[in-house]
Amino acid sequence: MSKAGDKFDQARRNFLRGIGLGTAAAVAQPAWGGQTFQDALADFFQKDYRRMSKEEIDEALGRIERRVKAQYDVDIDCQNTPPQENVVYGYAINISRCIGCRYCVHACVKENNLGRDSQVQYIRVLELDQGNFNLEQSDHYYDPEKVPVEGKHYLPVQCMQCDDPPCVKACPVEATWMEPDGIVVVDYDWCIGCRYCMAACPYWARHFNWTTPELPAKEINTNCHYLGNRPRPRGVVEKCHFCIHRVRKGQQPACMEACPTGARIFGNLLDPDSEIRYVLANKQVFRLKEDLGTEPKFWYFSD
Amino acid sequence: MTMRTAIGLVGTGLLAAFSALVAYAQDSSEPGGNLRFEGYPGAPEIQVVSRIDELFFYPCDECHATMEPNPDIRELDTFHDSEIDHGKGRIWCHSCHQLEDPNNLITLLDEPVGIDDAHIVCGGCHANREKDWYFGAHGKRLVNWQGERTVYNCTHCHNPHSPAIEPRAPKPAPPVRAGLEREPGAEHEHTPIWESHEVDDEP
Repeated sequence: MSKAGDKFDQARRNFLRGIGLGTAAAVAQPAWGGQTFQDALADFFQKDYRRMSKEEIDEALGRIERRVKAQYDVDIDCQNTPPQENVVYGYAINISRCIGCRYCVHACVKENNLGRDSQVQYIRVLELDQGNFNLEQSDHYYDPEKVPVEGKHYLPVQCMQCDDPPCVKACPVEATWMEPDGIVVVDYDWCIGCRYCMAACPYWARHFNWTTPELPAKEINTNCHYLGNRPRPRGVVEKCHFCIHRVRKGQQPACMEACPTGARIFGNLLDPDSEIRYVLANKQVFRLKEDLGTEPKFWYFSD
Repeated sequence: MTMRTAIGLVGTGLLAAFSALVAYAQDSSEPGGNLRFEGYPGAPEIQVVSRIDELFFYPCDECHATMEPNPDIRELDTFHDSEIDHGKGRIWCHSCHQLEDPNNLITLLDEPVGIDDAHIVCGGCHANREKDWYFGAHGKRLVNWQGERTVYNCTHCHNPHSPAIEPRAPKPAPPVRAGLEREPGAEHEHTPIWESHEVDDEP
């Protein structure tokens, strides 16, 4: 753009900012959609996560905390823990060990502040006949008295954190991307809810909030991350993020912690001494729909 | 190389070989000397969670101190179950428990190991599993993925007297999408279309 254009643009911005601030000052305190008017206005002008400065992110975190306080009367600690150096996360599931108990599913729902009545669950455990690997013949509504059922095997499916993620390519507003540690994340404030990414994902790993997630205030997990489990609004897409708020601090993802049989193995793909690398080097591993070339960082094996 | 250094080298080599032989003889003369399995080379360091506090009957010698060790395979009429659902009838109490000091377990090489080192005993037969466990491909790690590795021992998840994992009730199934109902079969059982729809018989 020309210099004159720049000047004009700047003047326009200052003018808009002036109007914004003026209105904010005028309408100061009364609640505005559960927020103060200033917060609502700042939310409206909030930038994409990757274009925000550190100060802007901190302000956004403050607004998120105040919004949750107003909505649920709960004090959350919303953080922005950065990725660790030289870490790329990988996951492996031993399907010989998985008994289909769904402990992981429900630990995930609690940990990630998922709506309790909505249909959103990040993990689906598929039940298949032994010897059958046709995913179309799988059932994730199985509900016997005891698992594992004789003659069946179980296959937990969640976001594969693809290294070449088709969902990221599909997003028209770049509200989803892959972080340096390999986790594909969503900026819920930037997502426009078009659901293109859901159509692009071959694993049915992305979920849309058709309604505002219903969270019992007592059960809200207060340990939150901007790109992770902070309470989400209606009309945005969300997905498994390997419990970004936990793993970046060295803790296990909630599903792994909940697994009673130790079928889930998580670790750093760049560390040659990690468990995940031992599994990849010593077990017959496979990935789902490998032929699509999405390079999932999520392996399955049996022994 | 001069002759003198050559003789010197050979001499040193012989001496080293001799001392190694002596050390081996000493080791093998005392049972359990250096034979005890110390883990795989390159295996990461692990902290094993102790289970002693959870054991109801431990320490065993609270009762067994006053009892004569009896190696016979027999019907047990005390607290212990004589039905061992492990090894398909091949093993009996003192295959794993030390007869002389019941507080200990015992390996195939007759070395006593503590209750919390049960993996050494298990690994005597289940060596592949044990190796996987050392390297983290089997078993359950706790708390973190990074830093110190804390893991459960074999007997934490597997009851050694009946090691198969017990079936359990699953958590609730996911809800069906609002406005939809589950069809009565993942098995694809449909009523034939001519029964579910009214057919106009008249031509």
